[in-house]
Amino acid sequence: MTATEDRELRRALHGTLQSVPPSPAPVEAIIRRGKRIRLRRTGAAVGTLALAGIAAVAALAPHGAAGAASPALAAPGSVVPGGVIAHGTADGQPWRLTAQNIADPGYACVPAITLNGTDADPVFPNADSGAVVALGSSLPGVGFGFVQVAADVNAITVDGDVSVPAVTVAACGMRYHVAGFAYSLAKTLRVTVVNPSGTWPRVFTLPLVSAQPSGKATTPENPGLWINTSTALATGDSGALAWGTLPDGQGWFIKLQFGIGGDCYELDGSSSHGNTQMGYCGPISTPDGPETIMALPLGFPDSGTGATGYAVQVSPATAVLKATLSNGSSVMATFCLVDGRKYAAFLVPNPLRLTKLTWLDARGRAIASTTAVPRYGYVQFQP
Amino acid sequence: MTEPRDELTAVADVIDADGREEFSAFAASRWPGLVRLAFGLTGDRWLAEDIAQTALARAYVAWRRVSRADDPDAYLRRILVNASHHRFRRHRVTEQPGDLPEILVEGPADLVGERAALLAALHQLPPRQRAVVILRYWEDLTDAQIAAALGCSPGTVRSQLSRALAKLRQSPALGEGDDQ
Repeated sequence: MTATEDRELRRALHGTLQSVPPSPAPVEAIIRRGKRIRLRRTGAAVGTLALAGIAAVAALAPHGAAGAASPALAAPGSVVPGGVIAHGTADGQPWRLTAQNIADPGYACVPAITLNGTDADPVFPNADSGAVVALGSSLPGVGFGFVQVAADVNAITVDGDVSVPAVTVAACGMRYHVAGFAYSLAKTLRVTVVNPSGTWPRVFTLPLVSAQPSGKATTPENPGLWINTSTALATGDSGALAWGTLPDGQGWFIKLQFGIGGDCYELDGSSSHGNTQMGYCGPISTPDGPETIMALPLGFPDSGTGATGYAVQVSPATAVLKATLSNGSSVMATFCLVDGRKYAAFLVPNPLRLTKLTWLDARGRAIASTTAVPRYGYVQFQP
Repeated sequence: MTEPRDELTAVADVIDADGREEFSAFAASRWPGLVRLAFGLTGDRWLAEDIAQTALARAYVAWRRVSRADDPDAYLRRILVNASHHRFRRHRVTEQPGDLPEILVEGPADLVGERAALLAALHQLPPRQRAVVILRYWEDLTDAQIAAALGCSPGTVRSQLSRALAKLRQSPALGEGDDQ
């Protein structure tokens, strides 16, 4: 290539690419996406550690409030009424871990352990498994955890000297023997499952919600998303929430993977040239809890443009979810049941934007509405 | 105690508050360049942003390693180029009617004239040749740097670039000044 050609190609290429005005850097969306990648890897890694029998880490009682966790009371061997595993106060805020059904009324029971009746972690009988969660800026520096243990285990030990009793709770006809607790994210402590036979204590690992400099309480990672020691992500169900075809013939598809990794949504675009996809995980709510509004922006390969898929886990009372778009048109979201829970999803092709969501009951009356809708990732809204 | 396997690396790569701030600044500063690089590789503005997000998200996961690397940008470039190559590998058939509003999807942006011709010419190149051209003439990388980004030898870079330029000479975008 001649020097003239060389210069010409460089000039033309710079002119072309410089003419592309990128949108503002979606740093939060990037971090959420990174967390999702890490969340999946964490599950695999933690499973490895659990099998290897590595010493446990966790820390009880945030900000020196050791003993703040109170186990539910019941006679030995009996089931604690109400499914309450433990409760207490952290930084002046009450908390409660409960085993309960999180399916919509009338559908097959889905057992889960919830924090304060909302953020849920689907659960199945599995001794020596555990999970931790934190709530982010709403309760910084505090984590919550539970450990399922064998029925003959009376307690777990944290930091070598704090005993957390295990209780038996029931949900969906299943019994779970669980120890629940709150802990400080600023400390790293050891958790040991006490073996009643008096032999060498059994120990296993809980994942850390976040790492932080020593003595510094920070906002935890993945607010509301439980991190489990089990790798059984497939224990939940999956389903297609909505699908369709863009006017230029490109197909799209929004699906949900429900399980211990959270409510994980994915928007897929397909065309004759191939596929592209975008996905995020959000917290699992209960039927009466806040609804997660998830936005999944995606470029489509053929048209040179994009679209944003929206998915919402809706309450049982919602009959219609109406999406109002920036051009004044509206979309009635498609409803779908996954694992006995109702979800709605729809697509908004660029350059349109979602401006408002309205929840309607069976009589067409508005239950609630919000204009605080995300363009990337999720927000939570209590209708 | 059993040594953890490779997966543990990701668990240990949790970013603290300071690291998060550092990463946020890094991501914001690199975003425009990554989007433009991805646009050169794909020709699709929205796909480019998606791929740029993917590259930065992977950098976030491995931030401790990336931030200590001699050339974090080289790491990002390699992720981005790989992501653009693998973007279309999955196949799914979903052709069912939906509940879309009656609207038109906008076509490509106003890339006309020279720019449109250049993009068209670039997209007639095989992905690897296209990547070599973009990395050389947009990123101004050396053969060795391009080879690192593509995972091939510098010799392969030179041969790919030679073939790519031969094809681009046929393009109207570079036709003027052509001495052939």
